[in-house]
Amino acid sequence: MNHVVWAYSENEGVSNEVASAATDIVKGSPGEVVVVEIAQPRAGIRAPGGRLLLKGPSSADSPGVVAEALYRAAKELQPAAVLVGATRNGRETASRLAAKLRVGCMSEIYNLSSDGQSLLGERNVFAGKVVAKVTCALPAVATVKVGSYPRMESAPGGTRELDVGGVDSPIRVASREKKAVGAVDLKSAKVIVSAGRGVKKKEDLAMLEDLAREMHGALGCSRPLSSDLGWLPEEHHIGLTGVSVKPDLYLAVGISGQLQHTAGMKDSKVVASINTDKDAPMFQASDYGIVGDLYQVVPALRRALSAHG
Amino acid sequence: MRIAVCVKHSVDETELKLDPSGRPQLAGAAGKMSTFDKNAVEEGLRLKAAHTGEVVIFMVGTPASKKTLKEALAMGADRGALVLADPLAVDSLRTADMLAAAIRKGGPFDVVLCSEGSSDTYSGQVPPMLGELLGVPYAGYARKVVVNGQTARIERSLEDSVEILDVPVPFAASVVSEINEPRYPTLIQIMQAGKKPVEEMDGEELAPPGAYRQASVVSMSAQPSTRKHVMIEGSPDEAAAKLVDALMKEGVLSK
Ligand SMILES: Cc1cc2nc3c(=O)[nH]c(=O)nc-3n(C[C@H](O)[C@H](O)[C@H](O)COP(=O)(O)OP(=O)(O)OC[C@H]3O[C@@H](n4cnc5c(N)ncnc54)[C@H](O)[C@@H]3O)c2cc1C
Ligand SMILES: Nc1ncnc2c1ncn2[C@@H]1O[C@H](COP(=O)(O)O)[C@@H](O)[C@H]1O
Repeated sequence: MNHVVWAYSENEGVSNEVASAATDIVKGSPGEVVVVEIAQPRAGIRAPGGRLLLKGPSSADSPGVVAEALYRAAKELQPAAVLVGATRNGRETASRLAAKLRVGCMSEIYNLSSDGQSLLGERNVFAGKVVAKVTCALPAVATVKVGSYPRMESAPGGTRELDVGGVDSPIRVASREKKAVGAVDLKSAKVIVSAGRGVKKKEDLAMLEDLAREMHGALGCSRPLSSDLGWLPEEHHIGLTGVSVKPDLYLAVGISGQLQHTAGMKDSKVVASINTDKDAPMFQASDYGIVGDLYQVVPALRRALSAHG
Repeated sequence: MRIAVCVKHSVDETELKLDPSGRPQLAGAAGKMSTFDKNAVEEGLRLKAAHTGEVVIFMVGTPASKKTLKEALAMGADRGALVLADPLAVDSLRTADMLAAAIRKGGPFDVVLCSEGSSDTYSGQVPPMLGELLGVPYAGYARKVVVNGQTARIERSLEDSVEILDVPVPFAASVVSEINEPRYPTLIQIMQAGKKPVEEMDGEELAPPGAYRQASVVSMSAQPSTRKHVMIEGSPDEAAAKLVDALMKEGVLSK
């Protein structure tokens, strides 16, 4: 075994985050980080230590196929660790790879490091109430929490190719469609107004959308509004199973503040919340709280903002 | 159709107490059925209703986990298998090893269902590992599963796309909560659940670890929080004005 760390994600931006995580592990020595690509090289990939292009599979669309390609390549080249971005497909890829290699797999890790013998890192457990330090002997696989590393910016080094042979999948893809994507990018928004079940009907979201616009921010939500009620696209939901955000201001409106939600916004700079229930856990996760009915407080907030001009 | 559903007895994060140094008090901590596993059980029951057959619950857990196994039986599952091991002391691959061995022993199954992630650790690792170990096609994050003879049409819900797959039977899948609305057992079902058969087996005997070195937890501590907790009083207009002032001072409101 050598000390080379592989970084992979089917998502270009996430791949550049994973490359940063891998560089941290090898203490900034770029020659030991290899960014893996499957079937086709991608233009936006940053790989200062060079890339490894696995030829054979026809695409990188199926986690089962990617896992098999990575497995064949890892058997031959013996990387010390394989890091995969913890997207939905990435979690599957990493888990299947670890099962094939019979090595340990750590999930949703940040603050990664290595002492040469094992991989160390941190992750959120018990819905984000607790941080666990975890470890795994090398060789190991880990998924890297999306959004926990900056995207690598330096130019790619050279490309090496490896033919791993064709990989068949028993699964046929009948169709693949983009979900309707909202007009907002929550990850880059400086202000996020976030709506929860305290909002009574879909039409009332317009009022919060207006507030978000007046604050030069974006509208997010708790999981029930997107997944269960379908009032907003999935990409809008913040939390453990949705996006993690760190805006300057996070304004939670009618959100109870269950741990699974706060897990996705706890790194915000300032948090304010509006809730009718003075005991709502959201207040524990807030710098400023107003106990009140959002249907009164939100219009008042809009008046106060326009008074400041 | 024979359907296996994997159900985890998870630590109840809402009840979990931290000691003064911030370490979670896991000994004797309250547990509950992992939230999304209810959707996996529900989906198993719906497949059974559509195709006839049997739903068997598989769990890696301690004797205290039986409560959750009984709950799945009360929802309508037919039988259960409890693989004895501490789910907090075995990692994802060991858990999957044990589930795979128990499912093989009780098999063959046409469908193996899990949820996308357990509510205490939310790793999302056990289901794909299980698919891999069982050597069957696997589809994760399913929001719709329709079995039609020898193939299933499965809708996978990804971050920004939906995939529709044709998957040959037998297969394994994990489900997301949108897939269905889990039923509540009736009082009679709860009473009858006690009489349904549950087979117990030892995890380490069933699936010896061999040379495998598992991932482990070194230490745990409270999530740090440094919030100010200022409660703003007054009428809606007064409170709103004070909040806007405070946010201006924080420098987080741009004009
Ligand atoms: C494994 C797992 C993962 C999960 N992942 C996520 C996730 O990523 N993101 C997420 O958000 N959730 C997630 N959840 C769900 C989470 O546990 C909560 O159920 C959810 O966050 C609750 O949403 P809510 O606060 O909008 O609704 P509720 O909990 O119903 O809270 C509504 C709040 O609105 C207040 N309210 C009511 N009326 C008004 C009014 N007129 N004015 C002001 N306030 C009012 C109420 O007092 C209450 O506090 C997950 C759950 C599990 C099990
Ligand atoms: N100890 C366990 N017993 C039974 N099923 C489990 C266990 N751990 C995980 N699973 C299954 O795998 C899913 C995902 O778990 P995880 O990989 O821990 O997030 C759970 O929702 C269960 O369906």
